[in-house]
Amino acid sequence: MNDTGEPDAAEPDAAEHGTHLQELRRGTVVLACLRLLADPGYGYGLLEQLQSLGFDTDANTLYPLLRRLEKQGHLTSEWNTDEARPRKFYRTSPEGLRLARALTDDFRAIAAAIGALPEGD
Amino acid sequence: MARNSDLDHARDVRSTFTDRYVHAVTRTIPEKQRDDVAAELRAAIADQLDARVDAGELPESAERAVLEELGDPDRLAAGYADRPLYLIGPRLYLEWKRLLVLLLWIVVPLAAFGIALGQTLAGAGIGEIIASTLGGAISVALHLAFWTTLVFAVIERSDDARASAKAVAWSVDRLPPESPYTGARFVDMMTSIVFLTVAAGALVWDQLLGLVYLEGHWMSFLSPDLWPWWAGGLLVVMAIEAVLQVVVYVNQRWTIPLAVFNAVLNVVVAISAIWLLSQQMLLNPEFWMTVIPEADAENVFGILSVITGFGIAGVAVWDTIDTFLKARRSR
Repeated sequence: MNDTGEPDAAEPDAAEHGTHLQELRRGTVVLACLRLLADPGYGYGLLEQLQSLGFDTDANTLYPLLRRLEKQGHLTSEWNTDEARPRKFYRTSPEGLRLARALTDDFRAIAAAIGALPEGD
Repeated sequence: MARNSDLDHARDVRSTFTDRYVHAVTRTIPEKQRDDVAAELRAAIADQLDARVDAGELPESAERAVLEELGDPDRLAAGYADRPLYLIGPRLYLEWKRLLVLLLWIVVPLAAFGIALGQTLAGAGIGEIIASTLGGAISVALHLAFWTTLVFAVIERSDDARASAKAVAWSVDRLPPESPYTGARFVDMMTSIVFLTVAAGALVWDQLLGLVYLEGHWMSFLSPDLWPWWAGGLLVVMAIEAVLQVVVYVNQRWTIPLAVFNAVLNVVVAISAIWLLSQQMLLNPEFWMTVIPEADAENVFGILSVITGFGIAGVAVWDTIDTFLKARRSR
């Protein structure tokens, strides 16, 4: 992802820019969950998936988030008791898929708008 | 049943960090979701634990690490129950602040004034009056702050209010006036001067002829002994007040020096009047004794003097503060 950036400069900035980066990333996790859960998944599995894909997420924000999305009707859930450890599996509902499409379109529009900004270096 | 509670007991005795953690999270979330959340959380913790142990960590330190990564159970519970982690959020904060400031400005001075008046009428000493007025004002302020904040905190936590109240929509109509009320318009000057003239006329009339007709002759309302020096002094102060009003009008606004001058005038008038009152030299006892029935007359006259004194002090303090506010606003 970061192939063109200068890693030396990016590292010390991370702490200083922390809150801004956090603000920018807020919401992308929702989008990622809705898209990933088109195939059913459970809490910890999803957490690993997100982290490996580069979405920096904490367990203590992800688990409540899944509940919230379920309460809003964007996810459905089902307990899977086939295995030794029963797990709650979530799946994106049709309404959640519509939301995911809308969010994706918006994200692309924002990315395009940012691409059109002057570089400012 | 017996077996079940034995099991619970056994679990209590060697309850693990995980059990205690799950309990701490779920005890404050709504009963309906409690078991579901507990089961899901347990599975998630076990998954994370397995991952760490597979990576070579010792089970005990791994459990500690997993739970510490999940963090404060109350914070996690608030996330599950969708509860705010603040008392009053940005949506309601401004309304809360406006209401509280308004209430404090209105209620605390009124309460302090009332307490001081009540204490004086009850014959308390000056120390006691000051102490109970201060104490009363502080406790009234604390009550206002506490109850207002409580109501807003409850509104912040009620789902209905959260859904419906998108706060009160702000519109341009709510902008503060461009030129704040300065108290220096022509109308203000004329009102003051007319009032001063009427008051001066009434004073002279009262002193020379008497304002009230009772029991066959005219009686003065204020003590006739005020004439000529005290009454004359008051007339001079009134004339200065009138000039001050003209100066303010010409100047287009109150300034801090003018407000200070006004405060000095207020203090001079109020202190003289209250001193006269305390010497029983301000009100005309003859008139009041006639108006107030018989036996209680002495007593009622005393109470009346106290109320008059507080009235004079209240008006002076109010006018002084009001003038300073106008001066500050129109800076």
